[in-house]
Amino acid sequence: MTSTSKHTITIIAIAAVVIILGLTASFVLTEAQGSRGDLEVLGTVPPFELTERSGLSFGSADMRGKINVVDFIFTSCEGPCPVMADNMSSLHKAFAGSSKVQFVSISVDPARDRLSVLQEYARRQGVTDSRWVFLRGEYDTIRWLSESGFKLAADDLPAMHSTKFVLVDDKGQIRGYYSGTEKASVNILKTHIKELVEDMQ
Amino acid sequence: MARAQSFRRFILSTIICIYLVIFAGGLVRVSGAGLGCPDWPKCFGRWIPPTSINQLPPDLDPAQFNITLAWIEYLNRLVGVIVGFLITATAIWSMAKFRQHQRIVFASVAAAVLVAFQGWYGSVVVSSGLHQTIVSAHYFLALLIAGIMIYIYVQAYYLDIENAKTQYPIPKDIRLWSMILFLLAFVQIVLGTQIRGTLERLVELSPLLGDSERLESVGLINHLHLALGLTIAAITFVFGLRVRKSKDSVPPLINFGAACAVILVSTQIILGLIFIVFGLVPQAQLFHLSVASLYLGMLILILSATFIKKEE
Repeated sequence: MTSTSKHTITIIAIAAVVIILGLTASFVLTEAQGSRGDLEVLGTVPPFELTERSGLSFGSADMRGKINVVDFIFTSCEGPCPVMADNMSSLHKAFAGSSKVQFVSISVDPARDRLSVLQEYARRQGVTDSRWVFLRGEYDTIRWLSESGFKLAADDLPAMHSTKFVLVDDKGQIRGYYSGTEKASVNILKTHIKELVEDMQ
Repeated sequence: MARAQSFRRFILSTIICIYLVIFAGGLVRVSGAGLGCPDWPKCFGRWIPPTSINQLPPDLDPAQFNITLAWIEYLNRLVGVIVGFLITATAIWSMAKFRQHQRIVFASVAAAVLVAFQGWYGSVVVSSGLHQTIVSAHYFLALLIAGIMIYIYVQAYYLDIENAKTQYPIPKDIRLWSMILFLLAFVQIVLGTQIRGTLERLVELSPLLGDSERLESVGLINHLHLALGLTIAAITFVFGLRVRKSKDSVPPLINFGAACAVILVSTQIILGLIFIVFGLVPQAQLFHLSVASLYLGMLILILSATFIKKEE
């Protein structure tokens, strides 16, 4: 074999490898991108009506038209709650530029968490706008909402409330559950919120 | 003569595999699959990543399960393990057959130690939650391992050339400029990883920003990266011509390295144009970092080939 034809074969081989790598990588990257937007509808939030820290009523209708992140908390909780609050707060900051994303914290301890307590709690989280709402309602309503509405365990409220963050789309549909205490999970939630916001536009 | 030929072929295959791992690692970073497996070395508690969400252990958070991302991350680990074996084999081979060539023995043992460390460091990358500095260090370590293997290749190459020192009176300026290009390319890659890190941090801080807004927020370092890139490209072209002019006084390996460097730098210019015209296309990002890694490798090749050991 002459050295020129050997060179040609080498060049063709390298080109073939580069093209195969390129196509494989392209396919994999597209798959990876697609795998993120793949959010099933897991349920629908039932109609409910609670009271926001401001004293105004807040219900399922107020969640429509917005992407919502919902969690269940109580202000005097010392276990995982501060971590959840920090993570929720980081989300609240990350989406500061958008009125399309709303954060909803529902108190599971209505006896202690009066509206003034919720107001003070919100201040401690640095919340001065209405993108993050803090809700209060009757104990039985909250328990029903947690168990039947958001499909979260609520056996022994307030202490044993769920630490999940629930992603609810603009049509009131539940699209995902995330660990509210794990950074990695919260980062995935971030990308899912972004996907849903982009779907809305 | 060719006493090191099969050894050299084996090292060449190993080097190709290392660059495939770097490519796979780039795929992990660009696709954001770094936490595709939240545990290490297993993936969701399994040696073969789960194919369905029902296979997850109950203590792991199901929100973190994404089969595509898990497999991308796991692919990087698998090819990494293969490279680990290849480098270990290289070290054993050099101790058995090239004991009298200290450079080869030391370098291959160092590579074997570093690749073992690199494997373990993969666990640090995951447990750090993809801390940018740690992710970049993981990448630089891969570049270092590739560089050492290239160095060994060059040493083995000269074993088969008699009187290399007298046959190739390599002009001094070729060594000087390959060293300058190597340093510039290294700085350029550091800048590149910084930009990548800043872009990722911006995604975390404000996920709704578009590509162009994010690039704008990166600011100065981005312009610096472009300016240095163009400088490196210009010097590489001149360097390529310079090597061509004395192509008979340098070994074919240097001619090959210089030609590759020119091709690679031209590819980077095209990829750079894609970024400017079409934005941060993920495929282009992946090739951008892979080509940069290969370019640095070519300069290590040229630079180490300019140091010819005296005949014993």
